[in-house]
Amino acid sequence: MIKFEKVTKQYPDGYVALQEVDLFINKGEFVSIVGRSGAGKSTLLKLIYAEEYPTEGRVFFNDRPIDVIKRWHLPYFRRNIGTIFQDFKLLPKKNVFENISYALEVAGDSNEEIMKKIPKILDIVKITDKALLYPHQLSGGEQQRVSIARALIHNPQVIIADEPTGNLDPVSGWEIVQLLTKINKFGTTVILATHNKSIVDNLKKRVVAIDKGKIIRDQENGRYVI
Amino acid sequence: MKLLKLTRTLKEGFINFRRNGWLSVGTISVLAISLYIVSFTLLIGYTANFVLQNIQEKINITVYFSPEVKQERIMEIKEKLAGFSEIKSVDFVSREQALQELEQLSSRNEIIKEAIQEVGGNPLPDSLVIKANNPDQYEIIAKAIENSVFRDDIININYEQNKKEIENLNKIVNLTKKVGMGLGIIFIFLALLITFNTIRITMYSHKQEFEVKRLVGASNIYVQMPFVFEGIFYGFFSAIISIIFIFITAKYISSLSQKMLGIASLMPFYWSHFWILFGILILLGIMLGVISSFIAIRRYLKV
Repeated sequence: MIKFEKVTKQYPDGYVALQEVDLFINKGEFVSIVGRSGAGKSTLLKLIYAEEYPTEGRVFFNDRPIDVIKRWHLPYFRRNIGTIFQDFKLLPKKNVFENISYALEVAGDSNEEIMKKIPKILDIVKITDKALLYPHQLSGGEQQRVSIARALIHNPQVIIADEPTGNLDPVSGWEIVQLLTKINKFGTTVILATHNKSIVDNLKKRVVAIDKGKIIRDQENGRYVI
Repeated sequence: MKLLKLTRTLKEGFINFRRNGWLSVGTISVLAISLYIVSFTLLIGYTANFVLQNIQEKINITVYFSPEVKQERIMEIKEKLAGFSEIKSVDFVSREQALQELEQLSSRNEIIKEAIQEVGGNPLPDSLVIKANNPDQYEIIAKAIENSVFRDDIININYEQNKKEIENLNKIVNLTKKVGMGLGIIFIFLALLITFNTIRITMYSHKQEFEVKRLVGASNIYVQMPFVFEGIFYGFFSAIISIIFIFITAKYISSLSQKMLGIASLMPFYWSHFWILFGILILLGIMLGVISSFIAIRRYLKV
């Protein structure tokens, strides 16, 4: 479903983030990308949701190369992908409900459709009782759950999580990963970038290790070894 | 669906506009000033044309005859003049009529009344009031009369005085128009700059939101339209404010010209053109707002 074909990414200042990366991720997989800070994990993810483009090589999504997607079509492409980040990226001036509904508004959903979809998603991430609170009134774990809800609202094919537990305590962090696992069980592909050893070891799922821009290990049922 | 997009982005644009608070007030002020200057220039232009037309109709050449000249002679001259193609009408004003008119005009002026009594008898001469078909022809007519056969019968031709007044008025109006245009252009440029800057500031304060919006899959419309609407709001409210001020100015000009130039109130004339001016201002205001937005979007919102 997602394919990296000899992808090299060099930033304008000369820094080479990825070197000749080949990677194949199947539909429905749960993949952890591990590596030190600066190894190239975030860059790898950015290439999937087209925040960056490869300097060499190609990235494919469902067998279609991403770089041919026209600029104005990108928003529609991105609705196939749910993204979650370390800093949650919630809109501070909107409450939980509005943060999630915003994703639906820009897709053109009517107000009725929004009223139907949101309660369901709030239930999945278990944050219904805090629907009218603002991000600054929530704990880190709760904010991340809102992010996940927003990422899920379009029923995306893949969820990309870039260090989602970075700002969370171990317990909350594990809860988030559990949530991702649950989502994965329902068929959504999950790509998780993290440098949290204990999470990776406890997941016992596929682990791709990156170091200095190259993939050094790719194991099913892997452990955090770099 | 399109309507929904429009209303949602309009709402967001309005919220941004309001949230800017004093910044919005400042921006609207500058925009309003430039709109005001432009419409003031237009106002002066319109008014001048109208007033000039008015005055020109009142222009005439009055030929005053010396007291010895008999009325029959004057009538002869009247007939002759009436035959000229350039002359629209010739009216005879007897000295008695002239005195009556003077008394009416001066009914509240004691000094003139006393002067008349002092002089005893009627000091005013007979006159012919000549109107031309075309104001440009007064010059020719006046010269012709000065050089005419009956020039010895004439003691005075008053044409020169009106001419000076008209020339002065023209000069003032042209100067005002030039200055107005010049200032107007400068201020419009300023207004564009300031509105553009304000919108840029709004964009900057929403930087975080852009990132999220793009990630969440917002298309260009959703990202850009709120700012276009913000620009429209700036333009619209500035137009309203400048209209109010122009209205006050118009009233002032009307009463001023009534006093100084002795014409009737200009307000009916202004009212008849009100909607056109209103429309022009609103359009101009909105256009300026939208142009500023587009420039800001072009430069600072990469898709």
